[in-house]
Amino acid sequence: MSDPILKIKNLVKTYPNGVSALKGVTFDVKKGEFLVIIGLSGSGKSTLLRCLNRLHDPSSGEVLFLDPETQKYTDTLKFDSNSGIRLLRKKMGMIFQHYNLIPRHTVLMNVLMGRLGSTSTFKSLLGLFSPADKTEAFKYLNLVGISEKAYVRADQLSGGQQQRVAIARALAQQPQILLADEPVASLDPVTSHTVMEYLRKVNEELGITIICSLHFVSLVRQYATRVIALKAGEIVYEGDPKNVNDAWFEKIYGQGAKEIHTK
Amino acid sequence: MKSYAVRRYLLDGFTMALFVGVALSLALSPTEQQLLNLPRLAWIFFGSVLWGAVVSYFLNKNKIKTLGEKLFEPEYEKGKSEAKPLLTTFWGWQLLITILVLFIVGVYKTKFSIDELLNEDGFIGAKRLFAGIFAPNWDVLPRAVLNIIETIFMAFMATFLAIPFAFVLSFMAAKNIMKGSFAFVIYMTIRTVLNVTRSVEALIWAIIFSVWVGIGPFAGMLALMIHSIASLTKQYSEMVETVNQGPIESVQSCGATNLQIIWYAIVPQVLLPYISFTVYRWDINVRMATIIGLVGRRNWNNVDQISRPGHVAGSWNNHRRHRTCRLGYGSGIRLYQRGT
Repeated sequence: MSDPILKIKNLVKTYPNGVSALKGVTFDVKKGEFLVIIGLSGSGKSTLLRCLNRLHDPSSGEVLFLDPETQKYTDTLKFDSNSGIRLLRKKMGMIFQHYNLIPRHTVLMNVLMGRLGSTSTFKSLLGLFSPADKTEAFKYLNLVGISEKAYVRADQLSGGQQQRVAIARALAQQPQILLADEPVASLDPVTSHTVMEYLRKVNEELGITIICSLHFVSLVRQYATRVIALKAGEIVYEGDPKNVNDAWFEKIYGQGAKEIHTK
Repeated sequence: MKSYAVRRYLLDGFTMALFVGVALSLALSPTEQQLLNLPRLAWIFFGSVLWGAVVSYFLNKNKIKTLGEKLFEPEYEKGKSEAKPLLTTFWGWQLLITILVLFIVGVYKTKFSIDELLNEDGFIGAKRLFAGIFAPNWDVLPRAVLNIIETIFMAFMATFLAIPFAFVLSFMAAKNIMKGSFAFVIYMTIRTVLNVTRSVEALIWAIIFSVWVGIGPFAGMLALMIHSIASLTKQYSEMVETVNQGPIESVQSCGATNLQIIWYAIVPQVLLPYISFTVYRWDINVRMATIIGLVGRRNWNNVDQISRPGHVAGSWNNHRRHRTCRLGYGSGIRLYQRGT
C-alpha cells in the first residue's frame, strides 16, 4: 500500500462564537479510495471538508498533503499566504449540497470556473479562456453526460443535472482529491444514485481520491470503500462500510434511530 | 469590549439622555438663553448617555434585558432566552415609553396643529396654488421643452459617469468583502467619506462646482454626479453584502483570486439590482436637477459674491457674466407661474 495522500492529525476547529465543531480528529486518506464521512447534521462533516481545502481555517492540528510531484508531505495549515492556499485548492476540487453554480452563466462557463486557478486574473476577467481549457471542459461535460447542455444557462437545469455540472467543474481543476459535501442531500433517490454513479466513475476511471459526506447509510454501503463516522466533532467509527450494522447505526445516530432505505 | 456591547451602551445611553432631557425641561422650564448654552447642554447630554450606559451595564448584569441588548445581542445569544410577551419585559416597556416620548416631543417641536390644518383661508390659498399647476402658461412651452431636454441629459450624464466609480467603490464598501484589519480600515474610510458626501446637500455641491467650472448645466451635472456616486455606492454595497455565499465558496474552491471571486461569483448576483438602482437614481437626478436649476438661476449673482469676496470679485464677476448659462433650470417651475 502506498503512502496516504492526506494525513489529518488532531484537527480542531472552534468557531468564534464558542461552538467547537471538531474536537481533535485524526485519520488518513489513502490514494484512490472512496472515503465517506457519515454523521448527524451538526456533527462536523461540512466543517471537516472545508478545513481540508482551507475554506475554513482550522484552529489547530495538522493536515499533511502528499505532493504528487515531489512525493513529500506539506502541512497545508502552514500556508498563510493567499497564493499558497490557492495552490492547495487547485489540487482539491469540491462539490456542494446546493451545487453552487453561477445561475446566470452558461453550463460551459460554469465548468470553465474550474480553470480560474490556472488562468491569469487579467485574462479570466475578460473571459479569455484558452481553447485547450474549452476542450478540457467539454471532455468532462462528456464524462458526466451533459455536453449537449453546454450553452444552456445553469439555472435552467434540474438539480441532478446541476450537480453533474458541478462535478465537471471540479474535474476541470484536474484535482488529486474531490471533496463532496453532501452531494445528494437535495436530490431524489433515483437522481441520487445517478450522481453517486458518476462519482464512482470519477473515482475508478480517473483515479481521483474522493472524500464525500453522506446522510444515507444505504448509499454508504453501496459506494464507499471506507467509512468514517463523526459524532459531535469526534470520530466514533472508522472502517469497512459493510460492517456498519444496526448496532453501529444506533451508536452513530443515537438510540432509537431508524434507517431510511434508498433503493 | 465587544462591538455589540458598545452599540448597546450607546442605544441605552441615548434613551436615557432623551428621558433626562425631557424631565429636565419639564421640571426647570428653561429660558431660551439658558438653552443656548451649548457646553452645559453637552455636559448634560453626555453625562446622561454615560449614566444610561452604566444603568444598562448593571441591568444586563442582573439578567434584565434592556432594549440595546435585545437589538444588538449576537445571534448565538438570541437562542438562549425564551420568548416572553412584550409587556412583561423591561425592553418592551423601554421601547414603548421611548416611542411615546419621541412622539410627544415631536408634536411639540414641529408645532403640530390640527387647527392650522383645518383653517379655511389657508386651505383656499393652497388650493389656488395647486390649481395653478393644471393651468399652465403655454407660452413658455417651447423654451420649457428645450430645458426639459437639458435637464434629462444633465441627469443622464450624472448617472452615467457615476456608475464606474460606484461600481468599483461598492466592493470596497461591503463588509463581507473587506475582511481583515487593513481592509477594514479602507472600508471604514470609504463609508465615512461617502456618508459625509451624501449628507452635504446637492445644492451645496452645485454652488461649489459653479465657482469651480462656472454656473451652468456642467456644474449641476457634477454636483449630481458626486451625489449619485455616494448614493449608488451605498445601495450597491448593500446588495453585495446580501449575496448568496454558495457561489462564492464554489469559485473559491477552484483556487480563484479575490478579483476572480468578485467578478465570477458576486457580480452575476448583483447585476440586476444594480441596473434597477441605477435607473431609479436617474429618475431621482432628473427631479433634483430641476431644483438645482431653479436656485442656480435665481441666486447666481449672490453665489459669486459669497464665494469670491474682496477685490477679485469685480473682474471675476464680469468674466463669469458673459457666460450666460443656467444650471439647467426646472422647466416645470415656469409652467405654472401664471396660476400663482
